[in-house]
Amino acid sequence: MTDKDQKNPEITKIKDFIKDERFDDASNIIALYLGDSTQDDYLTRLEDIIELLLSLHGGRIVLRFLIERMIIDIPSLLENLSKRDSVLRYSFLLLLKTLCENECDLFLPHSEDLLNSDDPNVREAILQLIIFMVGGETEIDYEPLINNISFSLADEKEFVVEKGIQALILIGKKHPLWVTKAVTNIAKEHPENLEIKKAVDTVLKSIVTVEKIDELVEEPHSEDELIEREETEIIDKELELKKKEIEIKKKKIELKEKEKELEEKLIVEKEKTLKMKEKILEQEKVSPPVEEIIPKKAKKQLKKEESEIIDKEIELKKKDLEIKKKKLELEMKEREIEEMAIEEKEKALKIKEELIEKESELTQAEVELREKIMKEKEQKMIESEIERAVKEFMVLEDEEKKKDEERETEKN
Amino acid sequence: MPLQVDHIDKFLEEESDSKFKSELLELLRKRIDALCFKECEIDRIQCTLTPLCTRRIFLKLRLLNGLTIEDQPKFCYSVHKNIVFRDFRNKTVIYKPNDAYLYLVDFFDVFFHGDYRKLNKFFTKKEFKAANRIFDDRINNRDEDFQYLLTKDQNFMIFKYEDKIHVCFINENYALCNANRENITNLELLLGLCKLFTIIYFPEVKLKLNHSNCVEITTIIPKDALLKISKTPPTEEDSKNDNYIWNVFPEELDALSQFCKEINLYIDGKENLKIKLNIGVVPEVRMNSSSNTILRYRDLRLIFNIIYRLYNDFYILHV
Repeated sequence: MTDKDQKNPEITKIKDFIKDERFDDASNIIALYLGDSTQDDYLTRLEDIIELLLSLHGGRIVLRFLIERMIIDIPSLLENLSKRDSVLRYSFLLLLKTLCENECDLFLPHSEDLLNSDDPNVREAILQLIIFMVGGETEIDYEPLINNISFSLADEKEFVVEKGIQALILIGKKHPLWVTKAVTNIAKEHPENLEIKKAVDTVLKSIVTVEKIDELVEEPHSEDELIEREETEIIDKELELKKKEIEIKKKKIELKEKEKELEEKLIVEKEKTLKMKEKILEQEKVSPPVEEIIPKKAKKQLKKEESEIIDKEIELKKKDLEIKKKKLELEMKEREIEEMAIEEKEKALKIKEELIEKESELTQAEVELREKIMKEKEQKMIESEIERAVKEFMVLEDEEKKKDEERETEKN
Repeated sequence: MPLQVDHIDKFLEEESDSKFKSELLELLRKRIDALCFKECEIDRIQCTLTPLCTRRIFLKLRLLNGLTIEDQPKFCYSVHKNIVFRDFRNKTVIYKPNDAYLYLVDFFDVFFHGDYRKLNKFFTKKEFKAANRIFDDRINNRDEDFQYLLTKDQNFMIFKYEDKIHVCFINENYALCNANRENITNLELLLGLCKLFTIIYFPEVKLKLNHSNCVEITTIIPKDALLKISKTPPTEEDSKNDNYIWNVFPEELDALSQFCKEINLYIDGKENLKIKLNIGVVPEVRMNSSSNTILRYRDLRLIFNIIYRLYNDFYILHV
């Protein structure tokens, strides 16, 4: 806090409110103070507030209020802090520690976006917040987020990689399988990058303990096992879909039954009304005009009954409409589920196709290899044959030469 | 019993074979480098909030031994500089950056941001007049509240911001910020500090470089003030000055004796009480300590506080 800030009446007010534990009022004034800022001085004002909260007992509570009421928005706050000095940035992150540990719901929804931020300081900050969150009571058991964190191992900035390692180690202590899988995938994606390998190594070394080895060993390693696992996953999903389909069918049947019941009720009601009308008509025929004979009370009762019947009819129509709506919704859901199922099946088919392709490629490669080996053997055979023939030819030539020489000597 | 720190200290002191010593020191050097560059700095949050060395002592180690910014762990140094800056701007800091060393250019960047390039150039070329113009402009036209003094042989420039002292070591190309527990190792610097404080707080106190090994500070309690002091121990109703002279002054003389080479108290020809203090960079034996220790900035501040009280209560009020 500079002297200027200390003289600032709003800052002193906020300070007094926090000291008096009037956190609500303090957060309201902060909202006004930040709201009054221009684009140019927003950062300075935000820094003033952060400085104030850092220095005061009770600052954490006010900060929680500010975040909960969306007066301070986490993503933009981290982006703004990135423009300020590291001491302020990290001191502020530390201020968020207990909040992260106890109320990670405030931060988790932003984490995936922030992990993909262009600013390395923001990426580092959110990883630090994740570390705080994992240190708390809540568990980070959302696989896509873990995968996203593992991408930080391939970050261009060393300090982001370090934070990524720390986060993965902490998560890995609770979910070794997911982290191992995510990290090994990263290593496979960058097979030539030694630094990533090192980072993956450190994560894995910290996760793997004697107690968790069995759990990790269960994890398939070979490609065949992975494929098998994927297949079983697909089968599981198919089963789930089937179950859902059955549930939907059950619901349909229930709905139909209800419809029938309602229709029956409708019919009964209609019958009743018809009977009533008939009675009235009969009475009209037999007796003198109603107006003369029926007393006023009875008239009123009749009118009431008529209006009640009309109301009931309207209600029934409404219910009809609702049932139709529900039907439509169910149909839509069914379609969605069917589409999902089709997609899953398509995926499964694609995987199977890929597998078949790979298998065919492998068989082709095997055949080619065998052909090559055969050709090589044939060539070797031919070559050895030629060599043998040449040798025999040479031997024969030598023998003939010797014979010729002997003949010549004999002649001489 | 495992190896103790004392054992290593003793070994370094007593071992005659330099080969063994250098082996041990090389081990230490490697450990320091690993600590700074691999373990601490890699986690920037840790490096900022809880550095692995106390008060970033290894930055100081490198800086005082003439290593450049290129040889320093860069992020750690940037945090260090930032902390000095934040403290200067009265912002919250993790620790008070007392006795913090910065390279001269960074010192100017922190304290004279807009002019730091110019100042750095002037200081490297020793064009102090041009530099002084910048300082004067800041004091007179930009409402900046500080005093400065260039020492006699132009080896040091001292800055005083309220109660904080910063010293530029011009030849060494570094600056000491918020000087407190560091030793004053140079007589020229000591004289400069005395001059600066004398100009600001007690302009009529006399200063003299004595025998080229100590600074002589002379202050007086005038005759009139002396006569007003009661000749018997004071009662509760007596004045503050009586209480001071009878009860506090002896204790303060005792305190001064720890940091002064010599203290002379005598009545001069005009019947004033003259108090002469001789301060050197190596003061007399400290109380409860058998080793000779060097005068620190905080010790000098204590001396100045005593002089200021004597000057203000007994000299100014009467003269």
